[in-house]
Amino acid sequence: MRVSVERDGCATSSLCVYTAPEVFDQDEDDGRVVVVDPAPPAELYERVRKAARSCPTRSIRVRDTD
Amino acid sequence: MSLEAVPRYPFAWTPMFEMPEALRDLRKEPVVEVRLPSGDQALLVTRYKDVRALFNDPRLSRNIARPGVARISESNELFADPEIDPDPPAHTRVRGLVTRAFTARRIEGLRPVAWEISDELLDAMQAGPQPADLNEAYAFPLTIRVICYLLGIPAEDREQFRVWVDGFLSVSKLPPEEVGRCRANLWKYLGDLIETKRREPGEDLVSALVRVRDEDNNKLSEHELHFWVQSLLIAGYLTTASQLVTSTAVLLNRPDLVSQIRADYSIIGSAVEELLRTQLMGSSIGTMRYALEDIPLEGYVIPKGSSVMLSEESANADESVFVDPFGLDLRRKDNHHMTFGSGLHYCVGAALARMELQVAMEALLRRFPKLRLGVEPEQLRRDVGGFLEGFVAVPVIW
Repeated sequence: MRVSVERDGCATSSLCVYTAPEVFDQDEDDGRVVVVDPAPPAELYERVRKAARSCPTRSIRVRDTD
Repeated sequence: MSLEAVPRYPFAWTPMFEMPEALRDLRKEPVVEVRLPSGDQALLVTRYKDVRALFNDPRLSRNIARPGVARISESNELFADPEIDPDPPAHTRVRGLVTRAFTARRIEGLRPVAWEISDELLDAMQAGPQPADLNEAYAFPLTIRVICYLLGIPAEDREQFRVWVDGFLSVSKLPPEEVGRCRANLWKYLGDLIETKRREPGEDLVSALVRVRDEDNNKLSEHELHFWVQSLLIAGYLTTASQLVTSTAVLLNRPDLVSQIRADYSIIGSAVEELLRTQLMGSSIGTMRYALEDIPLEGYVIPKGSSVMLSEESANADESVFVDPFGLDLRRKDNHHMTFGSGLHYCVGAALARMELQVAMEALLRRFPKLRLGVEPEQLRRDVGGFLEGFVAVPVIW
């Protein structure tokens, strides 16, 4: 799995950080999303997909590589 | 269609502790016409997928301070301000200055503060007479102290500004002169506060915004600064306090649900989400938008120039998204409700509200193992004609 984000669209809902803190964080300056682990381990896939589904601005992209 | 056939909006809160009955069949049509408290008519988008998509659609402008837009209230312009541009890119620029204070890390830093304030208020409540009103003894002091802490506003001023904020949010409760007086007093109070922060800055959000404004006028005008401080204060406590009290009243009316939480406090998060979904504070009048062009939906076209509201409460009741939407399932999974909106205007304070609701509800239930309503449920009254329509008083005993 590869995870990427469109930072410009981020509305700082924080939902992704609460759902998968191992993968998503927020920038201290503007509050927008930052990906800290773009290739997360398989045990996180479900939570990453959930974070992508819940994103109010659909700013999270998940690509399957396996 | 005759005027009488157009349903009034906001919908009445019947039955009292459930989602409004008027939402039952609403999604048969993708858009319905409704009549606002002002008497003006507007379109209400009913289906989850349309509501969610349109929250992110630039063809709907949030700038409703323009001629021809349906008025929500006859006596109050509410949040419409001709000097504020609520669309991108202006809105995106200002919003970016505020969001940094609401990240998960910042909000989690406030969680212990919320616990401490909750415990202190519950100590006082426990030592005081019964019944106690949850609004006055708990929900308002708690949420006001938290937002004042974050913004740097003296919480002791709350008796003053609460009256003005109630007037600011009157839809049909107060005459226009009274609304005008409240708005002017609130604006003046916040202007004085901004000047104080300019002279004696602190580590709070208002000081940070004043600093941004004084460094570069292009980033934030004085009027925008003023408007945002006002919005943050109002949205920062009233919504959360009303949600907390209304949610608690719903729970106390259903002892089986209270027992579920008491048996396993780890469900507090999903319980809060389910109560947010089913007891949306107020209505969707705050989502009023203006159609810049024709917008085709499945089997319907929203005509250019329409006044459009995106019904968060109808989206939350959408049976194609939520199983048994009118039921309360405190363990509901994938509860992507629309209560905080969606898209680029998603509620800035959502994470703060969630954290406060989780802490406040858990602290309250843990403190009082026998907590119950101090009146018959039917005696509770909603704040009809206000913006939020939460319960005006919820007496409890323990």
